[in-house]
Amino acid sequence: MTWTDEELVARSIGGDADSFNELVLRWERPIYALAYRTIGREEDARDVCQETFLRAFRALPGFRGQAKFSSWLYRIALNLCRDWIRRERRAPVVQPPEDVDLIELAAAAEPSESIEDLVARRDLAQSVERAMARLPEEQRTAIVLKEYHGLTFQEIADLMNCPLSTVKTRLYQGLTVLRRELAKEPLV
Amino acid sequence: MTDITCTLAGDREHTLIAYLYNDIDPAERAVFDAHLDGCARCRRDLASLGGVRRRLARWQPEMPKLSALGSPHAAASPEAPAAGPWYRQMPAWAQVAAALLVLGVSAGLANLDVRYDANGLSIHTGWSRPAPVASRPTPVNEVRPVNMVNQDQLAALEQRLRTEIHAAPAPRAFSTNDAETLRRVRALIDESEKREQRELALRVAQVLQNVDAQRQADLSKIDRNLGLIQNSTGVEILKQREMVNYLMRVSQRQ
Repeated sequence: MTWTDEELVARSIGGDADSFNELVLRWERPIYALAYRTIGREEDARDVCQETFLRAFRALPGFRGQAKFSSWLYRIALNLCRDWIRRERRAPVVQPPEDVDLIELAAAAEPSESIEDLVARRDLAQSVERAMARLPEEQRTAIVLKEYHGLTFQEIADLMNCPLSTVKTRLYQGLTVLRRELAKEPLV
Repeated sequence: MTDITCTLAGDREHTLIAYLYNDIDPAERAVFDAHLDGCARCRRDLASLGGVRRRLARWQPEMPKLSALGSPHAAASPEAPAAGPWYRQMPAWAQVAAALLVLGVSAGLANLDVRYDANGLSIHTGWSRPAPVASRPTPVNEVRPVNMVNQDQLAALEQRLRTEIHAAPAPRAFSTNDAETLRRVRALIDESEKREQRELALRVAQVLQNVDAQRQADLSKIDRNLGLIQNSTGVEILKQREMVNYLMRVSQRQ
């Protein structure tokens, strides 16, 4: 039987550790992806992801279901990402371009994917990553939440504590900057 | 070409974004659809922003093995067993103090008598010989132990250290403990092994592919060579047959 998030939360509050583990398994990948795309550093994204669930676990008894559990988790993760950016006082890190390690690439290859396709895919991902790193934090967060997590404008506005119109403006401006930045990169 | 005039009423950027993400009121969508038919600028912007979205969709960060994160329940639960022996949870200063305490108490209990005289260094316990008499005259070369502590002082020291150790703040429940480190190391090893296995599988597949390609090339080469041999053999047979015919014709004339 598949429990909903809210049911798992209720069982967790009741002391069922397995239910919270199920929530972690269900949400750790989206939370990690959110953290990685926001701060751009794998190790720190893992730390943010772990800290998010730790804080969620500690605060779970106080969770009254006034928001969706996922929105609550996103809020915790975004606050941690914001803290990280302020603490580091810098834009998201873009991993420095390195020589292509074919062996490492081959390890990540899909069975049907050639090395050439794999290199192209990685190049494209890096160009997007570089362009995203040039965005202001608010625009980047709005784009990540909309583009990769499919949140509605209203949900993003609630998470970012701003009016809905501001979310749309940030998205438009962010996409416009990305269009300009990506135009500089060769299309793979 | 940004000079093309757009006549869309209201906030153009907001409508464009809402339409782009299909997060728009149906009535507003219908109006914008009608507008798009006559506005090249909006069509162009929509197309280019859609292109940006398609490129963004290709950015998929590689996911680490997130099970290595573990469940915070194990770390945060007060019922969770402490990782490692209890003395590993003590501060370093308390461990040093405890070691000194044990040493001091042991020395006291053993009634140690350390002497350095003409016979060299000698250490005796109170159990192997009687304790020295206080009024005994001190030899010139005898070196008395400096700051020798008595049983009462040791007991007082022990009591004080015990109090301080108990009063010391408990270590954080979620410190970087051995279990966490071990779990992470194991996860890293697992990840590395899986990566090596995938790499090996890929390499083996590539080798098999190469071998197969080489085999096909060899087979076609052999086929070609066989054809050539057959052709040359046929030619030779034909020549020989002509020669035989010629010889027979010549012999018949004679």
